[in-house]
Amino acid sequence: MKKPQLPFVVISVCGIALILFCLFGSQLTPMDPTQVNMQDRLQKSTGDHWLGTDHLGRDLFSRIVAGAQTTIGTSFLVLALSLLIGVPVGLVSAYIGGTIDRFLMRIVDAFLAFPDYIAAIVLSGLLGPGLFNLIAAMVIVKWVGYARVVRSIVLQEKSKEYVLVAKLNGVGTLPLILRHFLPHVGGHILVLATLDIGKIILMMASLSYIGLGTQPPTPEWGTMLNEGRAYFYNAPQLMLIPGVAIILFVLAFTALGEYIRGKYQVNQ
Amino acid sequence: MKLIGKRIIELLIFLVILSFLSFVLMKLAPGDPVKQMLRVDDVAVSEEQINSLRTELGFNEPVYIQYVKWLKRFFQFDLGSSYITKEPVIDELAEKFPATLRLTAASLVVMLLIAVPLGTLSALYSNKWIDYLSRSISLIGASIPSFWLGLLFIQLFSVRLQWLPSMGTGTAAHLVLPSLTLGFAMSAVYMRMIRASLLEGLKQDFVRSARARGISESRIFIFHAFRYSLTPILTILGTSLGSLLGGTVIIEVLFAYPGIGKLVIDAIMNRDYPVIQGYILWMGLFVVLINSFVDLSYKYVNPQLYVKGGDKT
Amino acid sequence: MIVIVLEIKHLAIHNKTKQIVKDVSFTIEQGQWMALVGESGSGKSITAASIGGLLPSGVTLKGGSIIFKQKGEAPILGKDISYIFQDYRSAFTPFLTIGKQFDETIRTHSKLAKKDRTAAIFQALKAVNLPNERVYKSYASQLSGGQLQRAAIALALVMKPALIIADEPTTALDSVSAAEVLQLLHKLKEATGCAILFITHDLRHVRKYADRAAIMLAGEIVEENSIESLFHAPHHFYTKKLFNAIPSLQKTPDRLLDTQKKVLI
Repeated sequence: MKKPQLPFVVISVCGIALILFCLFGSQLTPMDPTQVNMQDRLQKSTGDHWLGTDHLGRDLFSRIVAGAQTTIGTSFLVLALSLLIGVPVGLVSAYIGGTIDRFLMRIVDAFLAFPDYIAAIVLSGLLGPGLFNLIAAMVIVKWVGYARVVRSIVLQEKSKEYVLVAKLNGVGTLPLILRHFLPHVGGHILVLATLDIGKIILMMASLSYIGLGTQPPTPEWGTMLNEGRAYFYNAPQLMLIPGVAIILFVLAFTALGEYIRGKYQVNQ
Repeated sequence: MKLIGKRIIELLIFLVILSFLSFVLMKLAPGDPVKQMLRVDDVAVSEEQINSLRTELGFNEPVYIQYVKWLKRFFQFDLGSSYITKEPVIDELAEKFPATLRLTAASLVVMLLIAVPLGTLSALYSNKWIDYLSRSISLIGASIPSFWLGLLFIQLFSVRLQWLPSMGTGTAAHLVLPSLTLGFAMSAVYMRMIRASLLEGLKQDFVRSARARGISESRIFIFHAFRYSLTPILTILGTSLGSLLGGTVIIEVLFAYPGIGKLVIDAIMNRDYPVIQGYILWMGLFVVLINSFVDLSYKYVNPQLYVKGGDKT
Repeated sequence: MIVIVLEIKHLAIHNKTKQIVKDVSFTIEQGQWMALVGESGSGKSITAASIGGLLPSGVTLKGGSIIFKQKGEAPILGKDISYIFQDYRSAFTPFLTIGKQFDETIRTHSKLAKKDRTAAIFQALKAVNLPNERVYKSYASQLSGGQLQRAAIALALVMKPALIIADEPTTALDSVSAAEVLQLLHKLKEATGCAILFITHDLRHVRKYADRAAIMLAGEIVEENSIESLFHAPHHFYTKKLFNAIPSLQKTPDRLLDTQKKVLI
């Protein structure tokens, strides 16, 4: 087995670390992120509180860490669910073709025609505030994009010769899809998904900011931004730190996505 | 002409589908609008009052009948009245829309003013320092939540420096911060798009042929390469406009700017369904209009796609 | 008196990893049809591109000189030297009409009034047997391959250049259109007195139309001579190899027969 390349190893390790963090991160917070402590409110960084406290005396560092779990974990969940729905729909639709394909694509197009932020806002607004509804709203909005991309890739590949040859050799439907189409799809989807994580994080933060996502006291970077707004004058770190956290993570994922895209295009 | 007729029919079908979907959504959404409406007046309500309001609004009838009645009113341009203000929805939308339109236009201008020069310079001097600088700015800019940037702007320009207002509307000054925020956020993505399209355009073989004819570089860039890249740029502009309309919602809330974005957020909070539904349809209409304009523009950019085959003897 | 249009001396061209053109020298006289022959990768197209300064990025001229008309002045691309490329589709920008592109070229190199420009364009199109008004208004997608290449020839000739560099102009055409194109090129050369640098790998065209030929192999010119000398008395083994490879319609080659004297291939 040939030795995997260094960037690939680094990315995989980071990925696994991230997943573990999202699942178990709350164990890492030095203090309880929801512990209100009105005496210590609005402190700057101290020995106990590495980043100080917020307006309710809660440890900011713990809230950031816990918030990371919420924000990033939820974003990955949204991505995973969107892929889980969108990829199979796209695959099946393109493979079967015919009226089913046209029907599905009409629905997809109707969804896509509408600006994604507006749809997400309206959906989550109607479903009511709360993390679960937010996730549902975003997944509904996101899956269509993936369905469309997957469908167009499969349509392109479907007409190529190797598919005809495979079919003539009696390869069944499922192995055909899994072994022949999925690899082509996989590369594109990987690039899109990595770039999308950043957008999902931003969308989630935006929706939480208007009050449609997680509710206090759940720590989430977008909600924390909203809470910190009132105290900007005397305690700007309440707003700046979550903001910088968001920027850093979105930046990291977007840069990663661009890097993967660069590699992928070279391989093509 | 036939093209426009077809478009209008598609638009109507789209709106009907959209109206049906949004109607279903309203009915499925949790929360009882009737109770919500009555609570607005802050009065204790009796079972009787609830029922009479229900009947009045037609909620006791079967769903499909409600939809048909709604559809009939829709074709008469009657979108119902707000549960909260009791005003006709269509009036509220029409009143608030110009403000959103102004914001969108101003943001578009800001976006183009940033993205076009930087994207072009990036393409012309690709892999030189200015390219790296632009791409870094674009990468960071695409990672900043727009409302966070807006908050920073407010702190800097409104609170500390007291140069610009942070809320409301009325003067051109009120437009500055919101449009700067939105425009900057959108320009980050658009800049890379422009760069990529222009590079693609400059790589084309017919560009080399034009060079071989001695045409000047600047002429080649404007009339050959840039025009070639207009097709994807226009497509993305169309999509951006959609995003822009969506982005205005967040910004309007942030800056307390009285456009339809703020209107719909308030409506969502208050479960004011007619307004929400009216908003969905209004937005749907605009998105289709934008797409139609983009489609029309293709005809000017790529006229060769719309002519007949030609005699190849 | 012999007028020398182009003189290439010890040309050396490199890309990032190796040297593509190694020490190429030849001369083209006025009105001469000079063929540059070789297989793909021999460096003939790069040599041709370097004359007009059209080298792609990463490829640079590292040595030698290109002298036009024995003067110190550099030739004006599009006016003194023009090109015809193998891919006729890319000769024209797809979303501009043919006429507009002719017009653009003329306006770049002269100060003729609109009326005169249009007249010149019509004349140029007519000279290549194209219906001038229709083609003037057409887009490239509305013309066939042969028509496009002829239009490209007309465009190359419209400013009456001293040298036309034709890089495999017929390789992508069917043989009938190819023959038409070559005949036209020859006719116009005689009429205008321009010189032609003709890049090709097809020796049949060379034999029929060229005055002189240079054979290129791996970036070097291995033999250069007049057509009669080359074809009757080739020196270099590669030249001989090329000649032996020319298929001919006159001689019917032996077919492979099986044991029962039935034709296998």
